Amino acid sequence: MRRYVARRVAALAATLLFVSALVFVVVRVLPGDPAALIMGTEGSREATERLREAMGLNRPLPVQYVDWVARALRGDLGRSIQYDLPVGQLIVSRLPVTLPLALMAAVFMIVTAVPLGLYAATHHRRGGDYLAMIVSQLGISVPQFWSGLLLILLFSVTLGWVRSGGFDGWSAGAWPALRALLLPAVALGVFQAAVLVRATRSAVLDVLREDYVRTARAKGVDERRVVGKHTLRNALIPIVTVAGIQLGQLMAGAIVLESVFALPGLGRLALGAIGARDLPVVQGVALFVASCIVVINFAVDLLYGFLDPRIRYE
Amino acid sequence: MTRRTILTALVAVLACGWLTVAADAQAPSRLIVQSQTEPPGLDMTATPATATSGIVFYNVQESLVKVDRHGKLVPSLAERWHTADNRNYTFFLKKGVRFHNGREMKAADVKFCFERALNPETKHPYARDYEAIGDIIVKDDYTVTFALKNINANFLQNVARAGASIYPRETVETMKSQPVGTGPFRFEEWVRGDRVVLVKNGDYHVKGLPKLDRVTFRFVTDPNAVLAALKAGDVDASLFGLGPEHVQDLSKDPRFQVIVGDTTNDVILSMNNSRKPYSDVRVRRAMTYGINKGDVLKGAMFGMGKILGTNVDPLNPYYVDMSKAMPYDPERARKLLAEAGYPKGFDTVLKVSPQYDYTVRSGQIIADNLKKIGVNVRIEQIEWGQWLSRVFREADYDLSIIGHAEAWDIKNYANAKYYYRYDSPTFQALFAKSEVTVDDKARREIYVDMQKLLVEDAPAVWLFMHPRLAVVKKGLQGLWKDLPASANDLSEVSWAPAK
Repeated sequence: MRRYVARRVAALAATLLFVSALVFVVVRVLPGDPAALIMGTEGSREATERLREAMGLNRPLPVQYVDWVARALRGDLGRSIQYDLPVGQLIVSRLPVTLPLALMAAVFMIVTAVPLGLYAATHHRRGGDYLAMIVSQLGISVPQFWSGLLLILLFSVTLGWVRSGGFDGWSAGAWPALRALLLPAVALGVFQAAVLVRATRSAVLDVLREDYVRTARAKGVDERRVVGKHTLRNALIPIVTVAGIQLGQLMAGAIVLESVFALPGLGRLALGAIGARDLPVVQGVALFVASCIVVINFAVDLLYGFLDPRIRYE
Repeated sequence: MTRRTILTALVAVLACGWLTVAADAQAPSRLIVQSQTEPPGLDMTATPATATSGIVFYNVQESLVKVDRHGKLVPSLAERWHTADNRNYTFFLKKGVRFHNGREMKAADVKFCFERALNPETKHPYARDYEAIGDIIVKDDYTVTFALKNINANFLQNVARAGASIYPRETVETMKSQPVGTGPFRFEEWVRGDRVVLVKNGDYHVKGLPKLDRVTFRFVTDPNAVLAALKAGDVDASLFGLGPEHVQDLSKDPRFQVIVGDTTNDVILSMNNSRKPYSDVRVRRAMTYGINKGDVLKGAMFGMGKILGTNVDPLNPYYVDMSKAMPYDPERARKLLAEAGYPKGFDTVLKVSPQYDYTVRSGQIIADNLKKIGVNVRIEQIEWGQWLSRVFREADYDLSIIGHAEAWDIKNYANAKYYYRYDSPTFQALFAKSEVTVDDKARREIYVDMQKLLVEDAPAVWLFMHPRLAVVKKGLQGLWKDLPASANDLSEVSWAPAK
């Protein structure tokens, strides 16, 4: 187990190094100059050139990359061009929005998708199954920003139950904060829940066809016990795999929904930084999100062993 | 006992009534304004972004002279000024004006701010505007004289710009995130990605202002989200960011008032004058004759805005209506193209940035117009950052469309390196003359000549003045209708008392 963890940690470091190089190159290969963006159409050519020089953008790319990685290893992700704040501080300041948002969306996804998938599988080719499939098809087909707008239209504009967007922070109280994140979390979770319903249904269906399930039923075991203990536990490996990938996607999906709901989260920070060519922020956020996804995958791999004791890590 | 109970009840009722009245009188008046773009920093001496000046200028920081809501130069931090020879300008500062940090503003601060603007180390975006300044002499705490190296007719205009705002020297290092000034509102907080909050400056040097206690600029980028926020009552006003298509819908809603006004934003179809076929004046004129500006205004802006004939906006005192000087005439356009050696027209590329919807919509109508004279336009949409690099910086383009918001930007045609690449010694000489001509009548004549020359040379096609489109809740009063300066002065804005 220890060797396995050590190997995975080494792979994790290599992945992050690769991601850092890729992000660095992609961000800089893109046409668009941060100094020109700051100066816009009003600033003079000379002023833009002076700014470029001051920002260190005239140095050779490899020098800039090595400098950035060396600082990142010391925990310094650089300073935002747009906000004039340390990138690390900016990322941390956005986590109280994005993490609860992703977490609430994940809870919504699991709480709705697993029971629905289970219900569809146990009612295979019956009305409930067809209904669950139609609902999940709808969830997959509707783009997140669109479901977000529909939710705003219904719950904010028409009913006036929740705010249409914005976030005043947790200091304004836990309940107002949760209320502000509720609609975006649902909009974010709907698509992923729809995918997970299908994954759960198909995984459970596969297990239901196994001999030991037939045996359990033949022995007269209660159906609830058959599904809960013999089926679901064994179907969990593919479900957890899909859910793990989806957790990463929730972080990415937040980019669009944070714009629709005007939430000051990590996604909006990244989007604004790309538009403003705030290179240190783009690099920092990409590295952070990549790290999260790699860590989630790592955690999912470890979880396999607990779910299925037959899996060994040697 | 009964009498005592009645008396107590009476006193309680009266007290309640008094408390309610008092609460009403003291009810804080707040305004939540939607802003489309988050500023790239709040230091107006570091960025020329309109997103920055839209929040900070006039509200937090002010300059010696101010452009008022009618476009006139009026006193601000300087109560008056004087010049005998148009080379030495003496400003008499208002006494008792305090910065938000409590310190009194004095002539030494004015000297510091202008010297800092002139220092190349500070990367001031408008340093060139102050190059004419030779010396700044502080006569006493409230009198400062600017000795110019040469006559500069735009000097007062430049002193009224956002880049000439006065701030305390001790806040220079933190101005990007915490601007301090003398304005009607004090900066309170900037929650990155969400909002900037300003609060009333109780010590403001203009009595009775500001009328609002608190202003929140909330950043909402998506136009649909802006509409939802307005309709749900989460924001009180959208001062920039809504397109004409949204305004149409909201103008029918009794809860809102729509403000359509003039601006200094000229939307133009730029042509690369250094690149064939646009190096030929006949082709450039053909392009102007080949575009139906009325169609463009109707299609791109739902008819809101004003058709332009040159690069001087209707808010400029020297504006001459040239919109009918080269009317839509496809037949003439075809003839001009044939004369220039393009009887069958040519293929060309129009680069626009979809960040500004009106550029794409205008482009589509223009492409359709030009097809009728044989010019096949391929529209290439590029992201704003790329547009700034490729089109604006490197002039790697045939055609492009963008709004130029800066006032008095006719000066760009005198700069052969500007992305139009228009190089006319005659125009450059005229412009240089206008810069040193102080007499208003004589200067107006030069401006008229410059506008006529531009029409003649057709270095660009001036399409329309982008209107100010603001949507605010009914009851909000005191907002500027027109925008002659790159600012949103909220000092006189207030809520009408409820009926």
